[in-house]
Amino acid sequence: MQVLHFFGAALGLGMIVIGAALGIGKFAAAAAESIARQPNAADKITAAVNLPLFLLEGVAIIAEVGVLLIVLLK
Amino acid sequence: MIQEVAHQAEQAHGEAAEAFNAGKTIIEHVSNAKDHPLIHLPPLFGIDFSITKHVLMLWIVAVSLFVVVTWLVRRYLKQDRLVPSGMMNGLEFVVEFVRDSIVQPNVGKKWVTTWTPLILTFFLFILCANAIGLIPLFDVLGLFDHFVLHTGPDSFIKHLLHGGTTATANFNVTAALAVITFSAIIVAGSMAHGFVKHWMNLVPHGLAWPIYILLIPIEVLGMFVRPFALTMRLAANMTGGHIAILTLLSLVFIFTEMTGKAIAGVGVGAVVSVPLAVAISGLDIIVVMVQAYVFTLLSAVFIGMAIHAHH
Repeated sequence: MQVLHFFGAALGLGMIVIGAALGIGKFAAAAAESIARQPNAADKITAAVNLPLFLLEGVAIIAEVGVLLIVLLK
Repeated sequence: MIQEVAHQAEQAHGEAAEAFNAGKTIIEHVSNAKDHPLIHLPPLFGIDFSITKHVLMLWIVAVSLFVVVTWLVRRYLKQDRLVPSGMMNGLEFVVEFVRDSIVQPNVGKKWVTTWTPLILTFFLFILCANAIGLIPLFDVLGLFDHFVLHTGPDSFIKHLLHGGTTATANFNVTAALAVITFSAIIVAGSMAHGFVKHWMNLVPHGLAWPIYILLIPIEVLGMFVRPFALTMRLAANMTGGHIAILTLLSLVFIFTEMTGKAIAGVGVGAVVSVPLAVAISGLDIIVVMVQAYVFTLLSAVFIGMAIHAHH
């Protein structure tokens, strides 16, 4: 059971990374594409991408803290 | 980084009898070290008021920021010409950046002078606390003590070696900062719309009543989730960077113990650990600045949301 416990935490951590990476990848792709189309609006696009990016990061970090708690509070 | 390796080596040397425990060593390097307070104070109302390492770091950050900023501004006010010189240029750049690209777009022209001081204090404090955490100040002091001073095991310097140096890596510190943001949101809404109207603004009006049963709990929950996310984001990012560096550096000791030869550990350290730890330190410098920016930006956004309730 001990091993299963860590297995779950590690699996969760991997899935968090997959999800966050997909999300950030989509943001970066969309931002790069739209800046390529309209280089003039680069500042506005960066500003618009920033906020949801940080919110996404926050969700991932909270999930990772949860994984850490699973390991520490077993 | 070299100092940290040496410091860890020193620690591992001290515990040569027992096996190297990477988890324990890492946690000891990032935690607040409650068991080793610098100045022991009696608990008041059941709360331990002892001065720990993170409290000391908070004071160092606060005092150095206060002294530097006050000195710079006073010097600027005394001079005759309006053009700033030296470090005042940097300070003016930071102030202008925070006012023009963080506060003004979110809070709006009308309230920008009200909320810039708070956001600016957040920015400077978090940036300074994060950045001081990256400098292995006390580890160097520990090396100096080990080879030159030779103080006793109970001296002040030995106590300084326990625990991490990043005050913002402590969840209690970031929670306090987030509580300030939480109150600032309420104050901002109350100042812009009046106290009662601010709470009415939480949910859009003019909807069918069954929707409110669902919407009010969600909005109330969202009110508390925002500062919670701020707390977790800053503290976890700051702790995470240190843990990554220390994990890579503990590979040296893990390999030494596994093979039983010191040369294996040194080889792994030279080829893998130290270059990767340097790279992660470089990444951490970026993270330090980005996290200070993110905390202040999100605070400004939340305050702006309370002011510009579009419901």
